[in-house]
Amino acid sequence: MNRHQLGEFEEIVMLTVGILYKEAYGVAIIDEIEARQNRKVSIGALQTVLRRLESKGYLTSEFGEATSVRGGKRKRYFSLTSLGSRVLRETQEQRVDMFKAIPRMAFPKS
Amino acid sequence: MNSLPHIQPPKFFLRFFRWFCDPAIAEDIEGDLTEMFEREVAHGSIAKANLHFSVRILGLFRPGIIKKIGRSSSFNSSPMFKNYFITSVRSLVRSAGFSTINIVGLAVGLATFSLIAFYVYSELSFDRHHEKADRIFRIVENLRTENEELFQSTSSPPMGPRFLKDFPEVENYVRLQQWSLLAQRNEISSYERESYIADSSVFDIFSFKLINGDKKTALREPFSIVLTESMAKKYFGSEEPVGQTLKMDYDNYKVTGVMEDVPENSHFRFSNLISFSTWSRNNKDNEDRAWFWNGFHTYVLLREGASVDNVRAKMKDFIERNVEKGGMYYEDLPLQPLASIYMAPPRSWENGTRGSMNNMYILSIIAVFILLIACFNYINLATARASRRLKEVGLRKTLGALRRMLIAQFIGESLIITIIASLIAIVLVWIALPPFRTLVESPLSFSILPNAWLVAGVILALVIFIGLLAGAYPAYIISKFQPVQIFRPSSKGIFGHNALRKVLVSTQFIISIMLVAGTLLVYDQLDVVRKQDLGFDKEGMLVVPTNGDTAIVNYLDAVKNELRQVPGVINVAGSTSTPGQSAGNNFTRIEMTDGKMSPTNINFIFVDHDFLNTYQIKLLAGRDFLRDVKSDDTTAYLINETAMKDFGWTPEQAIGKKVQGRYLGKIIGVMKDFHYRSLHTKVEPLMIAMTKYVGRMSIRVEGNDLPATISRVQKKWNELIPYLPFDYSFLDVEFDRQYKADQQLGKVAGVFTGLAMFIGCLGLLGLTAFVVERRTKEIGIRKVLGASVPGVVMLITREFIWLILIALVVATPLTWYLISRWEQNFTLQAVINPLRFAMAGIAVFLVAWLTISILSLRAANANPTKALRME
Repeated sequence: MNRHQLGEFEEIVMLTVGILYKEAYGVAIIDEIEARQNRKVSIGALQTVLRRLESKGYLTSEFGEATSVRGGKRKRYFSLTSLGSRVLRETQEQRVDMFKAIPRMAFPKS
Repeated sequence: MNSLPHIQPPKFFLRFFRWFCDPAIAEDIEGDLTEMFEREVAHGSIAKANLHFSVRILGLFRPGIIKKIGRSSSFNSSPMFKNYFITSVRSLVRSAGFSTINIVGLAVGLATFSLIAFYVYSELSFDRHHEKADRIFRIVENLRTENEELFQSTSSPPMGPRFLKDFPEVENYVRLQQWSLLAQRNEISSYERESYIADSSVFDIFSFKLINGDKKTALREPFSIVLTESMAKKYFGSEEPVGQTLKMDYDNYKVTGVMEDVPENSHFRFSNLISFSTWSRNNKDNEDRAWFWNGFHTYVLLREGASVDNVRAKMKDFIERNVEKGGMYYEDLPLQPLASIYMAPPRSWENGTRGSMNNMYILSIIAVFILLIACFNYINLATARASRRLKEVGLRKTLGALRRMLIAQFIGESLIITIIASLIAIVLVWIALPPFRTLVESPLSFSILPNAWLVAGVILALVIFIGLLAGAYPAYIISKFQPVQIFRPSSKGIFGHNALRKVLVSTQFIISIMLVAGTLLVYDQLDVVRKQDLGFDKEGMLVVPTNGDTAIVNYLDAVKNELRQVPGVINVAGSTSTPGQSAGNNFTRIEMTDGKMSPTNINFIFVDHDFLNTYQIKLLAGRDFLRDVKSDDTTAYLINETAMKDFGWTPEQAIGKKVQGRYLGKIIGVMKDFHYRSLHTKVEPLMIAMTKYVGRMSIRVEGNDLPATISRVQKKWNELIPYLPFDYSFLDVEFDRQYKADQQLGKVAGVFTGLAMFIGCLGLLGLTAFVVERRTKEIGIRKVLGASVPGVVMLITREFIWLILIALVVATPLTWYLISRWEQNFTLQAVINPLRFAMAGIAVFLVAWLTISILSLRAANANPTKALRME
């Protein structure tokens, strides 16, 4: 399982790509993360992670139609590959398993 | 979200982004960037949008986004470079002899260059370590007497305070005066010759660091002393010195601070600082009014942003307002920038030794010469042996190698050699540094260098530069070959660069001859200086300081008599100062020819009855001080020849003229001039009077069995005055020290001339080997046809003899010019001896001839059948 360890930011990016489904391109991903997580995301960090995930085979991408906004540049839409969704699911299950394994006494009473 | 087409994102950043971004992903990222930009513009602030846009692009400049280097070029060239490397190494190994010559030559050249560069750098780094160095200036004086202009490094006590008062640009001042005191504590007693009294501002102006003590109060009270770390250790060991007392001469000083030792590259160095008030508390009147007492070194600190030119412009006015006229006139008060003092021409009464800019130039030229000789070796050997690489070059060209690739290959090859050489050079420098330090008498610690990266960068740049310098021409020549020539080698096409080789070899000879002749002439000059008539006898003279010890003052004749009894001692004299030291400068009135008493400032030495005798100073007229004439003790004066001429007298006229010194007296004699101060300056007017308060004893001893005599004198000294150290020095050694910088130059030039010759010979050896190899068959045929061995040797040597002759013709006027310029630094100049050039020429010829003969003899003696059978 170690082979498919996801970093925290990688995981968030993959989750967001999943959430946005057909609409997952650069700016939309940034907006979504910023809105949900209440944190600043730099385009540099995001793009590096996107390319890395794509080269690992977790994400795939394709160009959209050209529009008049964006200086005529096309958008690149990302989506989860089957490997990507499996890794994502395994990661989530691991987390849940670990969370469940915490004995109840370990939580301080609030 | 309306787009606003007329607002564009910053062009520069966009272009930068397009340049660095991996083209495979550039389009959509640029789209994203533009979208975010347009959105921010629509929301309001354009400036903010621009800023964010730029910041984002800078954030994208990271691995993963930047395009991969090399991926864009059309084919992968790394195997080609690998092949270049392999062939280079192979050819280096195959001709191991030539490679060794090249590498050793370059390594020695680089090593000497670095050593000299290090030395020159350290000499130029003097005093730059002070934080405020660019705002510190030394006040020096140009004085005009009736007959000459005096350039002094010193100034008078009121100068500093008045500068502060009159010039708003001046922020602070410090006055320093060197004292030589006998320090005593417990069992340890020794002369601290480098003690200085200093104003307490010394720590505000210079960046000397106090380790212990308060810099504001340390030098405030009289008899306060701040010790350097090493002096503190000497007298107090591991004890804490602050708060304790130290006896210096007859006074007890309170230690108020300990400071770091003065850096080696400081133009004046001291072992301790004494509060200025120690002196000024009894000399208030002098401090305020003694405008003509030039006994102090004064440094001023200008305010930040103040211009020294502004101060200089007001100087005439300042002098007129403040200084009344004595026997001398203040011509000017120049301000020397702190960092320039060490290299400036020395003035009278300098504090500390001085370097010589001239010598720095000469050393730098030698360094460059040596490097050039090494580079020429490489160029010569590489082009000479180019024919060896013909097949390789031809094959590469046939297979489609471009010329610039071949140039890159051969420059790469010379870079490989230079890098190997530089690694060896580092080892050489490491080995040679300690002896080099002794040679130049400089500590050359690495701490004076700037940070290590800068040094490494400079070294790398030097290595690359040398690699290019040496490699460019051979690369150009070799890459020029046409493949066809390999099969039809016409001697013209390939060896057309023969002329250049001759030029380079003769340049090497020129440099060698210049260095050899130059070194010989430098030694000639130093010899003239050493042997010049000083007007007194400096051989076998021991000088022992007594610092006005009261026992000696009270029993002077008895002490002298006791010392004179010691076998080997010829004579003993006491005086305030000895030749080669500074002489005091006293305000005096002297009767002029018209009978008026004219005020003047004249140098003084105070002596006893035996001074003239012991030093063998000759009299032109009149008489020496006599024991029988009691009044001589106070009212008799001697003057020197220069003073006599200055006043416009003949020797006879001078006798009997009235002098108002401490006492009203008469001139009783005129001495022949003797060098009582530095040899760099002319003999200035001097007056001698008698005193009991001697500060130094001069003991003349016989030349034979010196060590035994000295130990006998020392034994007697310790019996007589056990508490006073017998801290003797030889007068001739002290005198020679004045030419320390020049003598060093002589030694250094000698060593490096040897090295230059060595490198030159290496190249010559290589070239001869090549010529012999190429002409093996020719020599074989000649021998078969009856040529003699000397004939064959001559055949090969002939070429070089011509080159040496031409080199001699070129080198002579050049050296002549340079040496005669250098000799202008000396008051007494050696005549340039033309024979020295002949000697240099013959020396270079002999060395070259020997080098060549070794190989050509072997070729000449070889069995011709072997040479002819070789295919």
